[in-house]
Amino acid sequence: MTRIEATRIIVDLAGDAPIVASLGHPAYDLFAAGDRPQNFYTWGSMGLASSIGLGLALARPDVRVFVLDGDGSLLMNLGSLATIGLLQPKNLVLVVMDNEEYATTGGQPTPTAHGADLDAAARAMGIAATATVRSEDDLRRAGAERGDGPMFIVAKVKESAPTAKPPLDCVFIKHRFMSAIRSPQSAIEGAGL
Amino acid sequence: MTTTTAAPAWAVGVCTGVHAAGSRDVVYVPDNPLSHVLRVFEHQFRDVRLVLATREEEAFGIAAGLYLGGRLPTVMLQSSGIGNSLNALTSLLVPYQIPALMIVSMRGDSGEWNAAQVPMGRAVRAIFDSIGVPHATVGSADSAAETVRLAGKTAFGTRTLGACLLPRCLTLKVP
Repeated sequence: MTRIEATRIIVDLAGDAPIVASLGHPAYDLFAAGDRPQNFYTWGSMGLASSIGLGLALARPDVRVFVLDGDGSLLMNLGSLATIGLLQPKNLVLVVMDNEEYATTGGQPTPTAHGADLDAAARAMGIAATATVRSEDDLRRAGAERGDGPMFIVAKVKESAPTAKPPLDCVFIKHRFMSAIRSPQSAIEGAGL
Repeated sequence: MTTTTAAPAWAVGVCTGVHAAGSRDVVYVPDNPLSHVLRVFEHQFRDVRLVLATREEEAFGIAAGLYLGGRLPTVMLQSSGIGNSLNALTSLLVPYQIPALMIVSMRGDSGEWNAAQVPMGRAVRAIFDSIGVPHATVGSADSAAETVRLAGKTAFGTRTLGACLLPRCLTLKVP
């Protein structure tokens, strides 16, 4: 399973639900797999995709929130697993596209290439529902599961060279995303006096 | 309320200001003076959700997600944590124009005893200036609520960050 194949599955599973993508290749592939207003592409803040997804999940318990993270990115913010384990948002699905390398920066191996186990880390931090998947069928099954707490999925993927980049305008990405998930935005919608 | 007698006036003022600015979500990494603020939130502002983060940078990520979901977030941290937060501030909240009210408990300013706290404490205002984050210093317990409320109003209204610094000469006073 390549990352773009795995990304297409998540886009399909998400339906109208928001997807937050980590910077670099996860965001590029999300754009290529299916640009939609409910995609929040990050252009920086490496490591924070899961935190952004967590905040969104807390703000909007009525919405299922998907996060496309990378192994290198999550390793930069492992504390996020402890916070997610503490708060147990049942509407959060955190998918780590684990290609075992820093693909965006030239393919240097990450610690997961040498056995670092993000699935075990998530369980150790109190996230009970986890899965490590290697096939499209297994990813589809894990992503569709609904339980009493957050879902954490390590998708072992082969690097697939991205073919496109998402919009570059950060404020445009934000406004489009917030409108799509119907968050109030007086800045572009106007407001009563 | 049994605990209100022990709450320092500056801490009540900070909480009142955060609440009056419309924020009902406070993401924080604790420090000693902020423990007073947390206690006031817990006892007197029960509609405020407190979210503990493991690191300040993470707190800003959570705050950004809260805003995307329609909330007006506050981040509470010690000044040393600004150093941990810079990438989140400069590559997420600032370029996406995602606002947050920041309550910053100062270390390294007048009254500091720990040399390891001094360099960042001295640099905080210059760092805020260089990345375009407006900041105000809470000068007294009496002015705390209004200083914080106005900083929050500007931050949320203009989609910027707004920092309120709590100097040690304020937070170390015994009630």
